[in-house]
Amino acid sequence: MSRQAQKLDSAAGDGAVGIGVLSLDLLGQVLHGLWEPRDRKACRLVSRAFERAEAAHRRALRVLRREPLPRLLRAFPALELLDLSACASLDDASLAAAVAGAGGGLAGLRSVCLARANGVGWRGLEALVAACPKLEAVDLSHCVSAGDREVAALAAAAGLRELRLDKCLAVTDMGLAKVVVGCPRLEKLSLKWCREISDIGIDLLAKKCPELRSLNISYLKVGNGSLRSISSLERLEELAMVCCSCIDDEGLELLSKGSDSLQSVDVSRCDHVTSEGLASLIDGRNFLQKLYAADCLHEIGQRFLSKLATLKETLTLLKLDGLEVSDSLLQAIGESCNKLVEIGLSKCSGVTDEGISSLVAQCSDLRTIDLTCCNLITNNALDSIADNCKMLECLRLESCSLINEKGLKRIATCCPNLKEIDLTDCGVDDAALEHLAKCSELRILKLGLCSSISDKGIAFISSKCGKLVELDLYRCNSITDDGLAALVNGCKRIKLLNLCYCNKITDTGLGHLGSLEELTNLELRCLFRITGIGISSVAIGCKSLIELDLKRCYSVDDAGLWALARYALNLRQLTISYCQVTGLGLCHLLSSLRCLQDIKMVHLSWVSIEGFELALRAACGRLKKLKMLCGLKTVLSPELLQMLQACGCRIRWVNKPLVYKD
Amino acid sequence: MDLSQNHIHNQSAANLYYQFGSDNSFPGLGTQQQFPPFTSPFGASPSTNIPHMDWNPATMLDNLTFIEEKIRQVKDVIHTMVDSGGQLSCHQGEIAQKKQVVNADLTCLIVQLISTAGSLLPSLKNSSFLRHPAAGHMDMANHVGPSSGLVPNAMTVSEENKEDMCSPEDYEELFKGWTDGTIKEGIEIGNVLVEEQDMKDGDEGKDGENLPPGSCELLQLEKDEILAPHTHFCSICGKGFKRDANLRMHMRGHGDEYKSPAALAKPPRDASAEHELVKRYSCPFVSCKRNKLHKNFQPLKTILCVKNHYKRSHCEKSYTCSRCHTKKFSVMADLKTHEKHCGRDKWLCSCGTSFSRKDKLFAHVALFQGHTPALPSEEPKTCSDQISHAGSHQESTKVPNSMGSSFMWGASSGDNNALDIKGFDGCNDDFLSTANFGSFNLSFGPADGFTGEPSGGSFSMLPSEHFQSA
Repeated sequence: MSRQAQKLDSAAGDGAVGIGVLSLDLLGQVLHGLWEPRDRKACRLVSRAFERAEAAHRRALRVLRREPLPRLLRAFPALELLDLSACASLDDASLAAAVAGAGGGLAGLRSVCLARANGVGWRGLEALVAACPKLEAVDLSHCVSAGDREVAALAAAAGLRELRLDKCLAVTDMGLAKVVVGCPRLEKLSLKWCREISDIGIDLLAKKCPELRSLNISYLKVGNGSLRSISSLERLEELAMVCCSCIDDEGLELLSKGSDSLQSVDVSRCDHVTSEGLASLIDGRNFLQKLYAADCLHEIGQRFLSKLATLKETLTLLKLDGLEVSDSLLQAIGESCNKLVEIGLSKCSGVTDEGISSLVAQCSDLRTIDLTCCNLITNNALDSIADNCKMLECLRLESCSLINEKGLKRIATCCPNLKEIDLTDCGVDDAALEHLAKCSELRILKLGLCSSISDKGIAFISSKCGKLVELDLYRCNSITDDGLAALVNGCKRIKLLNLCYCNKITDTGLGHLGSLEELTNLELRCLFRITGIGISSVAIGCKSLIELDLKRCYSVDDAGLWALARYALNLRQLTISYCQVTGLGLCHLLSSLRCLQDIKMVHLSWVSIEGFELALRAACGRLKKLKMLCGLKTVLSPELLQMLQACGCRIRWVNKPLVYKD
Repeated sequence: MDLSQNHIHNQSAANLYYQFGSDNSFPGLGTQQQFPPFTSPFGASPSTNIPHMDWNPATMLDNLTFIEEKIRQVKDVIHTMVDSGGQLSCHQGEIAQKKQVVNADLTCLIVQLISTAGSLLPSLKNSSFLRHPAAGHMDMANHVGPSSGLVPNAMTVSEENKEDMCSPEDYEELFKGWTDGTIKEGIEIGNVLVEEQDMKDGDEGKDGENLPPGSCELLQLEKDEILAPHTHFCSICGKGFKRDANLRMHMRGHGDEYKSPAALAKPPRDASAEHELVKRYSCPFVSCKRNKLHKNFQPLKTILCVKNHYKRSHCEKSYTCSRCHTKKFSVMADLKTHEKHCGRDKWLCSCGTSFSRKDKLFAHVALFQGHTPALPSEEPKTCSDQISHAGSHQESTKVPNSMGSSFMWGASSGDNNALDIKGFDGCNDDFLSTANFGSFNLSFGPADGFTGEPSGGSFSMLPSEHFQSA
């Protein structure tokens, strides 16, 4: 609980009358100033006045379970944003009932997120759309079973401006046509992975939605004809067409004949696009700001470079991942685009110190530099980056094993804004961390496979980097419980922590982790020393835990599952493959955890078939993903499997050997 | 071409040319009514079979009257030619035109005679009279003269023509054309060599065919020939057949002499046939693009094309689809093709129009504001119910209470006092049958209560994240 909230607490404690006399509007203003959800909860819990104020002023709501949904919708009548993406076992009937129960409470709702809400079908959507006349944004992404009927239900929301349909696999041109006719004011649309949509649908989209600003047609089987249609969109600013293998240079040329509004183009992994096509695209686009061309170019032509120079003033982002580059090319890019803020050279072969030096010498505005797997670069490159890019925020150096602490020292000294650094597999040691600790703004630190890092290095980080949110210590197997103790001492905001294969860690270390209240994702793969006791302390302490990986933690037994079942109420994803748990523990776990949606349980040798059967029946309506040994496919009752599938659960059957070879 | 058409319009006699066999086809030419309407010797409707085989004396009389009438008309035309013969300065084209008309009429008369005589035809065929070596189509074409009348040497042609007009060779040739099967469908009326000038005049056919000038022979069948169901007739019993091969098979029944391999074999093409000109056809319907007088004339390539074209474009559509009862066709094959796909128009628009192809539907939707594709309904009844719901919801959004009550959720509606079931029964059952409202009911309990208690253990209370903002 932050100091702010504590102050409010004490005020409430001194005399509830004091706060009670303030108007709801004023209290609402106060609440508005509280950013952290935890702080707001603290206020809500200690004062009825604050609770009323929040009820009247709350704009956004993220619901985690189905059962309280109707009550919540009635309690917060001023909602504008409703996130149901994590709402376990939400289905048509419960959604429609909740919407109906809310009465006019949803009249102000503008945005609804239903990502991965597999159970919701067209009836629920129809009820929702009918109850929310002001609906402007809907996210249906990853509802893999959603089809034309569901999308057609959304078409009734005439004011819709944003729609995400990523991976709605059953949506065809017909559904798209429904939407574009019903929602002519659409501005943002993502059709990523809707593989059934063809040129015909895109053509109609371009004709019916002239206000479209952002369009994503990645992974679609559309061809150049679509780009011809899209070129007629006068306001289009962003266009993503990742992995559209039917699109080639000809299509880009058609696109270049469109309006000048286009600012961002993503042609990553479009196999048939060459630099010539991009050159003709740039030719018509003097305002292009972002160009994503990862894994699609094999060489860069002179014409492209000369066109790139015309974007000197505007281009801020350039991604050329996977391209074979030369020093002269990097120099030319530097000279052409000196306003670059982000450059991606991930997996580019031929990136050398000289190349980087000549690039960064021109581009002093760079904030993000991705040099993943550019394994020729050394400290010299880091020196020139540090000297030129004072604004640097993100540096990715995975597998650049020639660098060491000297280079990082320079970076840490010269780039005080550094927020993210990836040193996976760079072989850095504690000395490097000592220098990096100067970057007090650091949020994300990835140190995977740097096995020489010890508790000492962790202590350096924890002493200065209090804002750290994500820490990856994958296979840093010198780290012990003491390191974790030091870590939690300084870095209390950590949300994501990876400790896989740090096999010196014991229950004591997990006991320290228990003080990380904000921890959401924890990976403890193959920590064979930890037991149920350690799991208990994590479950009790880390109240926000959403994802937990306990694969091959051979000593974890039913006691750990009981603790999780009792305390880890927000747990959504769990891996307990190879753990020594029994059917009893599994049943208890699956029947208790009401937010659990994804569980991987391969090789639970101690669980009987009846155990699996019972446990799965208990969790049936909630599970969305399940991973099990394929041997179970035949022995589990078919009606159970049918029931799971009917509830929108996808089962992955795997066939893996029990013996683990390391 | 335009010029020649003007000539035709200016000459009343020229109407003869159009008159034959097309008694109701040319409303544009008002003067045609000067001749009394006659019944076509081939029968008024295409469905009456082989009328000339009918030995009905009344019909015979009719036919003879018609022939008489026709002869009189031809005589009139020739009279006018004789009258104007003194002034040779008159338009050469005009004369050529008239000659063509005369030729056409004479041909018509011959055909009439033959068809009236009916069974005489086979014996004619076998007579030595027709066994001449072929006179050659080039000759014939020259005799008849160009259709346009704009050919520079038309005068000389016509001079020759005048003398030869009634020579027996012409008729031989004509009979040959009629009988030897190279012109399978019957009678040549206008046998015209397409001259260079003709091809240059208009755009060449879009069919893309670019025959060198003079290399093709243009034929025009008349309506009755086009519509005649059979073109091969048995010389013994008169039965008609569509194909010569079928006729040969039929002939076997008339005696052993027809069973020999030679009689059954396909008659060899004449050696001269190899040198024959490519044949192209003109539609008898004036002003049709397929008519040789049309400015952008595009010839038809085969007899079958002529038949199908004429039926499709200039005949009534008498075959109705038995499935949809709306689509009509004049060619049976078209009906068959349609019936294969009829009812499979799965691409449906909200306006009720259906399309066989998705792109057609989308083009339609793109064109008309507010039209939207209709999804194929899984359960039609529920779907229609649902549509009416959507409507009722939209209406009721202004009144929040009524909207709440328009949904009736069996178990969950405990706190809704005014229950008003608006036609929701249709899908209510299956909607709710799978739903589990056990826990849902509980949540309706302390709706306005103080929701938080500090301890985090009990299931009845919400985990902290419930109130986390997105």
